[in-house]
Amino acid sequence: MLRLEGIRFAYAPEALPYRFDMVAQPGEISAVMGASGAGKSTLLDLIAGFLLPQAGSMTLDGVDLLPLQPEDRPVSLLFQSNTLFEHLSAENNVALGLPRPTRRKDAGPLIAAALAEVGLAGIGKQRAATLSGGQKQRVALARTLLRNKPVLLLDEPFSALDDETRVAARDLVRNLTRAHDWTTILVSHHTEDVQALATCRYRIAAGVLLPEGNTAA
Amino acid sequence: MHFIARLALAVVIGLAAHPAAAADKPSLTIYTYDGFAGEYGPGPGLKAGFEAQCGCTVNFVGTDSSIGALRRVQLEGATTSADIVLGLDTSIAGEARATGLFAPHGLALTGLSLPVKWTDPEFVPFDYGYFAFVYDKTKVANPPKSFEELIAKPTTFKIAIEDPRSDTPGLGLLLWIRAAYGDKAPEIWKGLKPHIVTMARSWDDAYGLFLKGEADMALSYTTSPAYHAITDKTDKYASARFDEGHYAQIEVAGMLKSSKHQDLAKQFLGYLTSVPAQKIIPTTNWMYPVVDLGADLPAEFNALPKPAKLLSLDEKTITANKDKWIADALAAIQ
Amino acid sequence: MPTPWPRSNSQPKVLPPRPLRLLGGAVIAMAVALLVVLVLWSIASAAYGQPETAAPLPDVAHLLRMSAIQAALSTVLSLLVGTALAWSLNRLRFAGRNLVIALFASAIVTPGLIVAFGLLTVWGRSGWINAIANVLFHTSIDTPIFGLGGILAAHVILDAAFAARILLARLDAIPSTRLKTGQGLALTPAKRFATIDWPALRGTMPGLAAIIFLLAFTSFPIVLLLGGGPANQTLEVAIYSAVRLDFNLHGAVILALAQIGFCSIIILAASAFAPIPSTLGPSAGQRWADRGFAKAVQWTVLLACIIGFALPLLAVLAGGFSSNLPALFARPSFPSALATSLAIGTLSALLTLVLALGLGSARAATLRPLARIGLAAPAYAYLAVPAVVLALGFFLLVRTMGIEPATAGPAVVILGNALLSLPFAIATLGPPLEAVASGQGKLIRSLGLSGWQQFVRVEWPLLGREIGVVLALAFCFSLGDLGVISFFGTQDFSTLPLLLVRALGAYRTDDAAIVAAVMLVITVAAFTALPQFFARWSDAQA
Ligand SMILES: Nc1ncnc2c1ncn2[C@@H]1O[C@H](COP(=O)(O)OP(=O)(O)O)[C@@H](O)[C@H]1O
Ligand SMILES: [Mg+2]
Repeated sequence: MLRLEGIRFAYAPEALPYRFDMVAQPGEISAVMGASGAGKSTLLDLIAGFLLPQAGSMTLDGVDLLPLQPEDRPVSLLFQSNTLFEHLSAENNVALGLPRPTRRKDAGPLIAAALAEVGLAGIGKQRAATLSGGQKQRVALARTLLRNKPVLLLDEPFSALDDETRVAARDLVRNLTRAHDWTTILVSHHTEDVQALATCRYRIAAGVLLPEGNTAA
Repeated sequence: MHFIARLALAVVIGLAAHPAAAADKPSLTIYTYDGFAGEYGPGPGLKAGFEAQCGCTVNFVGTDSSIGALRRVQLEGATTSADIVLGLDTSIAGEARATGLFAPHGLALTGLSLPVKWTDPEFVPFDYGYFAFVYDKTKVANPPKSFEELIAKPTTFKIAIEDPRSDTPGLGLLLWIRAAYGDKAPEIWKGLKPHIVTMARSWDDAYGLFLKGEADMALSYTTSPAYHAITDKTDKYASARFDEGHYAQIEVAGMLKSSKHQDLAKQFLGYLTSVPAQKIIPTTNWMYPVVDLGADLPAEFNALPKPAKLLSLDEKTITANKDKWIADALAAIQ
Repeated sequence: MPTPWPRSNSQPKVLPPRPLRLLGGAVIAMAVALLVVLVLWSIASAAYGQPETAAPLPDVAHLLRMSAIQAALSTVLSLLVGTALAWSLNRLRFAGRNLVIALFASAIVTPGLIVAFGLLTVWGRSGWINAIANVLFHTSIDTPIFGLGGILAAHVILDAAFAARILLARLDAIPSTRLKTGQGLALTPAKRFATIDWPALRGTMPGLAAIIFLLAFTSFPIVLLLGGGPANQTLEVAIYSAVRLDFNLHGAVILALAQIGFCSIIILAASAFAPIPSTLGPSAGQRWADRGFAKAVQWTVLLACIIGFALPLLAVLAGGFSSNLPALFARPSFPSALATSLAIGTLSALLTLVLALGLGSARAATLRPLARIGLAAPAYAYLAVPAVVLALGFFLLVRTMGIEPATAGPAVVILGNALLSLPFAIATLGPPLEAVASGQGKLIRSLGLSGWQQFVRVEWPLLGREIGVVLALAFCFSLGDLGVISFFGTQDFSTLPLLLVRALGAYRTDDAAIVAAVMLVITVAAFTALPQFFARWSDAQA
């Protein structure tokens, strides 16, 4: 269980102060909504460790996350764009998620399996720059699979996708979250995504994160 | 490959690799200009010849010019590993002597055949030549017979000369004009100005430009045509004989006071003026030998015209005035 | 209750922390800076022990002015011609285009002496152009190949080709969507240049101008050979004279400091602008050829440039392969000089690469302006340090350390040339390293990649071509070196340029021509093959 309590943060003394409280459960998708510029990405940066709060606590199953550097936090990240190294092949992008050390001969099957799980068997050799938006997001998901961190942070992952692709991507996220018991936090300003996926909803307004009443997925 | 191994070693252990002195033979280190030490020059022949009789190793160290060799010894001072500096000429001998680094050679030096009588206690001559403008007979039908005739030529008639600060022929031309015209020298330089295609850093560059056809004449030596006659088998090159007379360059070697092998150095200087060593000089350094080689001097050398008149300046005057004369000449052609 | 404001926490820490890279870079930067100081110090202390010389110090202000005017003219001309050439090459396609581009790319490292001689073969009084003019019009053309005209011509050949190569890379990198938009709007060639090409080129101009200016400012063999004499001197030539001829070490130190000071101002001014992405890879991209008049102009520019640039180099090749080649190759000195040159070039190139990667990756790992300047400035200083000063300083240092110059020779030649190539190497590797660190730092951090993994798995696949370019640059710089080696060469340690000079000094112009041609072939081959080879190799890992 990921718990944020009284997390306070502001970019500058005179800037809007944020206050975040939330609880997210494994196997569930918590959606965070809010207008553009509301502070959604800021929240994810705090959880991922790119920003340090000025006050408050953040724990995962009772373990304090705040002292951990971004490298050491038990989270995987998926951004709207820039999720892959464009100059590397799909395969090598996925390989970056392998636990280290992994022996070379074990790596191949693991990568292939991960790509197969996101429905991209056979594109491993293709350069990331040549993949479509939906394929890129799925390659990034395959990488999270190998990393297998308990928390998955998604920052508007579907915004660049067309309708058909986004439905498929949504299903994938939902299935993976359930199958691997991830604590998934989805940031989106797209109500349809939220309705389709969220087990629990939050909204950021005037810098404060508030629950919106839960619905079943 | 031995060299690569040493290279790697030097890099890896931080330059600290001293080459072990080859067995326990003494070694004689000679600083000279690169052309002398290099494969085309007399260096390899002299090395083999002397090593055969001295029970030592000869180590030629080439620098970019003969002045460079002197400068290097000056930089290194008493700690220099050089035993001999070879390749200075009579124009800068005075400056070299003034450094106080050279020791008397103590050789009798009888039997020399030079245009002047040799009495120098510190420097030993090993070859000589006369500065002259070299031209291509197939292209220049009427070569000038004096500096004045050269100046009177149309300005399309070009010469390539050397910088007196960087090159001994360049300095030689300066002294040549000075010896022939005295205080009127700057006027001659002014007259030459429109004909000078370039004042090159070195003889190589100036002569190279001439051979490429960029200049009608280049300042070189009366002996240069012998090279073309012997190696290229062509007699189309000749030197222009000037009525004012020609200035001689005598190349010398001297041993250093700091040398740990005084006897060996002296022995080498003696060898340098011996007939076997002198036989190597003409067809490697393309200058006249300092002893009479008789029939051993290639016929092409005997066929060269000797200057009508020999010009010279004494060492003290040169040393005292050189810098001023250079400044005057450069100002005149600026 | 007022909480204390932890400043450092309020900005996202997207740059991966790389203490080892920073440490490595700092060590290299300090070592490199220390060397400059040591070099100047050892000359100054030797000067201190020297009696005041009679030789007067040349007029520094006059030399600075002369050098600056010459360098400014060279820069403006090179940029103009380079832009026109890049523009033409970007539009035109023809057989042999890649070879032509490689030839242009290698111009920057072609030894000046070789270019000068090639130039004379084509434009000289007895050159090809005049031979043709004589046949056609029965008259010679009086080409101003000596003096300022010759210096400018040679500099434009070297530097405009270099500029063209870099600008072409910018043009070829224009995204195809932008070209499609332009094509859809049916922009005229002039409009197209103004709205699409120029914005892509503009950012590169200040840095490129600075490098060309400095190259022209410190130019040495060209000024000596084509300058026509003392009227056209650069500060660098004056420094050479002070060190080698007048033995005026006081003067040399003062002149060197003047040169370093002046060049530093130029370097600092240029670094205020964007960095120079000097990628020299082969170009590919969206095809959108111009038509009509513009196309005719492009062909004219290209042909003029090939005659102007490539012909002198072809003349060098032709000169080498028409004479007694087998005889020279059979001499033992040739293979040994070749092997030495290749070994020195290779080691020096590897050293340059290590230093540049160390400095570049450290620089990309920090945002602190002072640290960034501190990491780059010492390397750029070598654009200003005259080779002859560097060589003399090393010579004195080595002796102070009690080492025989002959023993230290190879190592010093390798190190000296690596340092002289370093500014170009950093300018090449810096921008992509920065792009990775700042553009994808967040991703790298969230994946928990270590510095080593970041290099092997992310940067190396991206940098392959640039690494090849850096190796080629440094290799060719050391291959052509005469400045450093002239202090350290001995009878059994000789390189191709030394062989060339020896042949010239012994009337062997034919042999010299062959050596020059061989050096040119190696240069062009290195520039064609190395970037391509490393691009392939790293691509295999992408
Ligand atoms: N590094 C930063 N420094 C200062 N302000 C920032 C920084 N990053 C984001 N902001 C500001 O914080 C607010 C929230 O940004 P963000 O969390 O990215 O919003 P969004 O909800 O659209 O993801 C915005 O007003 C943005 O301008
Ligand atoms: Mg956002």
